[in-house]
Amino acid sequence: MGKIFDWIDSRFGVKEPHKRFLQRPVPENINYSYCLGGMAFTYFLMLAFTGILLSIYYVPSEKEAFKSVVMITNEVTLGWLVRSLHKWSANLFIIFIILHTIRVFVYKAYRPPRDLNWMAGVFGFVTAMASGFTGYLLPWDQKAYWATEVGTSMFGTVPLIGDYLMYAVRGGLDINGTTLIRFYSLHILYLPVSMAVVLWAHFHMVKKQGIAKSL
Amino acid sequence: MGKDRKEKRFYPDYLSEIIFAILVSIEILTILALLYYPSIGRQIDFTRPFQPRPEWYFLWLYQFVRYFPGKSAFLGTVMIPLISVLLLLLIPYIDRGKNGRLKAIAVGSILLLMFLILTLLSVL
Repeated sequence: MGKIFDWIDSRFGVKEPHKRFLQRPVPENINYSYCLGGMAFTYFLMLAFTGILLSIYYVPSEKEAFKSVVMITNEVTLGWLVRSLHKWSANLFIIFIILHTIRVFVYKAYRPPRDLNWMAGVFGFVTAMASGFTGYLLPWDQKAYWATEVGTSMFGTVPLIGDYLMYAVRGGLDINGTTLIRFYSLHILYLPVSMAVVLWAHFHMVKKQGIAKSL
Repeated sequence: MGKDRKEKRFYPDYLSEIIFAILVSIEILTILALLYYPSIGRQIDFTRPFQPRPEWYFLWLYQFVRYFPGKSAFLGTVMIPLISVLLLLLIPYIDRGKNGRLKAIAVGSILLLMFLILTLLSVL
């Protein structure tokens, strides 16, 4: 390797562990269905990338949110494309998580010792769904408002604590600017960070346990 | 060395396949994003009634709620989704014992069919 790389590596020490990681053996008869999870992860990275770009122009306030989405779509250079990529990555992310789950199920790769990793995957799936739910409100248009109105009212049906729960989710009795900021914060901070932690655990266990032998 | 060569290694055997899959993923994404870009919605207007429509992966949940009116709504909105996630989490432990795999297949296909059928019903 080059001099600069060696200088960094002598302080950072990434070469040795990565050598082990890259040269680890994999089962011989794996096929392309083993790539479904990796494809889902690609969409997660695209979501992070396009999401960061969108956050440059998006304004999470009751008065400005809709206007800023109109601006991103009509005025910002390639803004429409970034928005489209974000939306499609989200849909494809969910689709490929489902396909990946089916693949793992068919190949019995959920069996111990991979049971904990299966559970990590389920948490990732739920986190992805929650991201979709919170992200749906952000354009702050008719569709977003009423879908979230119905969606959050489901929390209100829980016995005893339902009203408190719904109030906590909405940040008030109705959906308003507080809900928007709450959902925005969940969508761009809490959920992506949770997802990153879950995915780190997911990949760490794959690395430690190796790829499950096929049928 | 002869033996080593037969064995597949992550690099370069598997990594090249993953990179191919990543390129395909990005291609699918780009084509869809260019062809079907989202339009701007209508501004919020409380005077106009609006039929709420969630993302496609929540349609099954909205459909479920229709079957549980009034006080039993709690079953459709909270209990069934919670039980579904719990069952999915416990799949490795449902697959135990003699007919474990069969039980796991039963639970797995019920969850998948529930999702697919309810989604279809809500679209129709």
